[in-house]
Amino acid sequence: MKALALAGALVLSAAAPGRAEVPVSEDYALNCSACHGLDGAGTPGVTPTLHGLGPLLAATGGRAYLARVPGVAQAPLSDARLARLLNWVLERYSDAAPEPPYSADEIGRLRSAPLRDTRSAREALVAEIR
Amino acid sequence: MSRIDRLTERAARALARSTGRRSFLSRAGGLLVGGAGLAALPVLPVVRADGGGARVPAPNEDIEGPEGDPKSCEYWRHCAIDGFACACCGGSATACPPGSEMSPVTWVGTCRNPADGKDYLISYNDCCGKGLCGRCQCNRNEGERPDYHWVRANDINWCAGAKSQAYHCSVAIVIGQATEPQPER
Repeated sequence: MKALALAGALVLSAAAPGRAEVPVSEDYALNCSACHGLDGAGTPGVTPTLHGLGPLLAATGGRAYLARVPGVAQAPLSDARLARLLNWVLERYSDAAPEPPYSADEIGRLRSAPLRDTRSAREALVAEIR
Repeated sequence: MSRIDRLTERAARALARSTGRRSFLSRAGGLLVGGAGLAALPVLPVVRADGGGARVPAPNEDIEGPEGDPKSCEYWRHCAIDGFACACCGGSATACPPGSEMSPVTWVGTCRNPADGKDYLISYNDCCGKGLCGRCQCNRNEGERPDYHWVRANDINWCAGAKSQAYHCSVAIVIGQATEPQPER
């Protein structure tokens, strides 16, 4: 019973007051799917895929890059919801759940320093992966 | 300046810069007469939002109650549209008109369906590859954001992700239910 009460408290604390918790898939649909597609595959030559990001996440600076890239850092979501969304995207589309998962504090710190030269940062990461 | 005006001006300037009348006539004649040109035309007359082949959303149309008139700007799914409603252009609320291509990139918002009082996620894909439709110009912007929030902006020509950047009209595809109407607080 105590465990049940604790679980209920956790659920309530994650939800906005007076409102059902927004499913993470809804945050994805509204903030990511427009460009990356509902299946995360992107459009070749137009928008990048979200599949196979495991090596990028594991590269030096890759974890920070994925939170600082403009589409992530500037998403109109709280740090906690953005952390939940980024963890979900990496697990669902890349089978690469971050370890440890991104926390709200980490996301808040990283998104406060957005990338100024995204292309160069990405090229450096890709060069390391190769 | 409205989005349609900007798109028209941009398209006209780009066309004027890149083509002469003679080259246009030459290519148009080749397309009409040449077999190779005909082979490039789409086989199916309508591009449907069923995800078949193209990178477009699969509709989630399990909605109860009267749907309303998709040829009206007041149609509930058009709550955040800015453009020509495809239902007035030979297509439907979920399908591009014949000869146009659905852009794989788009923007997604939410609208409340008065028939059941629920909010739904709406994907406003642009249909591309033909000139401006010119019918049912709707400019409702509920929950829409300025261009610097580009994934929530409807002033963008989303045909940038299609083979042709010529904007024709917009569809309004339901891709799921929403628990948080836009804009979120």
